[in-house]
Amino acid sequence: MTGKVKWILGIAVVAILLFFIAYFVGVRLRPYSYHGMLMQSTEPPGDFTLIDHNGNRMHLSDYEGKWVILYYGYTFCPDVCPTTMLQLGRMMPLLGKKADDVQVFMISVDPERDTPERLKEYVTYFHPSFIGLTGTPDEIADAAAPFGIYYKKQEVEGASGYLMDHTASVTVLGPDGRVRLIWPYGTTSEEMAEDLLHLMR
Amino acid sequence: MRRIDNTVPSAPIAYSQPDESLPEERQLLPSFGNVKLVWFVYGVFGLLLLITFGFVTFQPIKVLPRVRLAPGYILTDQDGNTVNNEQFRGKLTLYNFTYTRCQPPDCRQLDATMKEIQDRIQEAETYGLPVEFVTISFDPAYDTPAVLKAHAEDIGADTSTWHFLTSDDPKQVKRVVGTGFQVYFKERGDGDFEFIPTMILVDGWGIVRGIYNGRVYLPETERILSHFNVVAGEAAFSKGANRVGYEAAHLFLCYAD
Repeated sequence: MTGKVKWILGIAVVAILLFFIAYFVGVRLRPYSYHGMLMQSTEPPGDFTLIDHNGNRMHLSDYEGKWVILYYGYTFCPDVCPTTMLQLGRMMPLLGKKADDVQVFMISVDPERDTPERLKEYVTYFHPSFIGLTGTPDEIADAAAPFGIYYKKQEVEGASGYLMDHTASVTVLGPDGRVRLIWPYGTTSEEMAEDLLHLMR
Repeated sequence: MRRIDNTVPSAPIAYSQPDESLPEERQLLPSFGNVKLVWFVYGVFGLLLLITFGFVTFQPIKVLPRVRLAPGYILTDQDGNTVNNEQFRGKLTLYNFTYTRCQPPDCRQLDATMKEIQDRIQEAETYGLPVEFVTISFDPAYDTPAVLKAHAEDIGADTSTWHFLTSDDPKQVKRVVGTGFQVYFKERGDGDFEFIPTMILVDGWGIVRGIYNGRVYLPETERILSHFNVVAGEAAFSKGANRVGYEAAHLFLCYAD
């Protein structure tokens, strides 16, 4: 081999190497940008106790060790809640085996109408593992306030009774109970799964 | 004041550019004949480490941590209107917690600092992000809306952006101030409270970004004003390629003083 060929080969090898390093640096080592808002909270916001959709009393702390996803809504919700629940339901199969480490709760902000039976029928329609939670108005307020959730009854004209005005974001808690991520309304199932899989690494 | 949406910032993208490895390559090429590729790889990783080290040391982007979620609430303001946390979404909100019967000069200072910040908020560039102020009373039995209204006038607060909140349900106040904002207060009897004077800065997402625990007096005004700028700056510029830099700043704990 002449010196010239050696040089050309050498430069080609270095170019290929450079490309792979640039790819590695640019794509693999780049800090992951979450679709949701990543939190740096150092401690859990606190425990709460509610009734699950089978009528059993539960504590949030019972689920330590799992990735807990909290969504506050109600079964009579016309559009926002079904959309979010649908995305959460579609997210589950995208998580693969890791779905076993995830527990999604829908906490009713309308305990007046959301009986455990009704909640069970509603949440399991979106995914069989989902759990609906309800309680007394005070218990629900205690479970909602520390997570930044606001809700209020809105009387409307017509036969449908009333609507609940409520915060529509989804909260992700880590296995230690700390708030890790907030997904705004409109986050898709793919984005949720991507964020969650990245967090669970 | 600039609008957030059409601002295209030229803030530094403080993350490793693959191109920076080029000079390294030229230096090493001559020895390539001896298959010293391994040194080249070392060089690139060394450079990466250096860039990371440089980022951590010089902290070109400063942020404030996303500490925790501010609580959700419905309370009543000094005019008897209901106010909830969702009304402050997309705005920067500075909270403090007090009771109007508080006698010591400390309490006057707490009000005075908030007033000073409200008066001087124009000094902090917030990139068009609206700023609101909220005082929550943890003495709802005495601090009725009417009492709060008189108090607001007394301290010269501009109530167009400063809201004085209370509730007719003491449980709600405990839930919001104690459990939610995690501010310590305890009634000592005779209308007197033991409490830690606290200010809390909440961003447009409803996330707590600054906790001024005890550090709430007039000399702290500059620091708190500068934090408004840090949080607003992130909201305005943390987009596209810049977002990587901001997230790296969070990752490497490049926190503003």
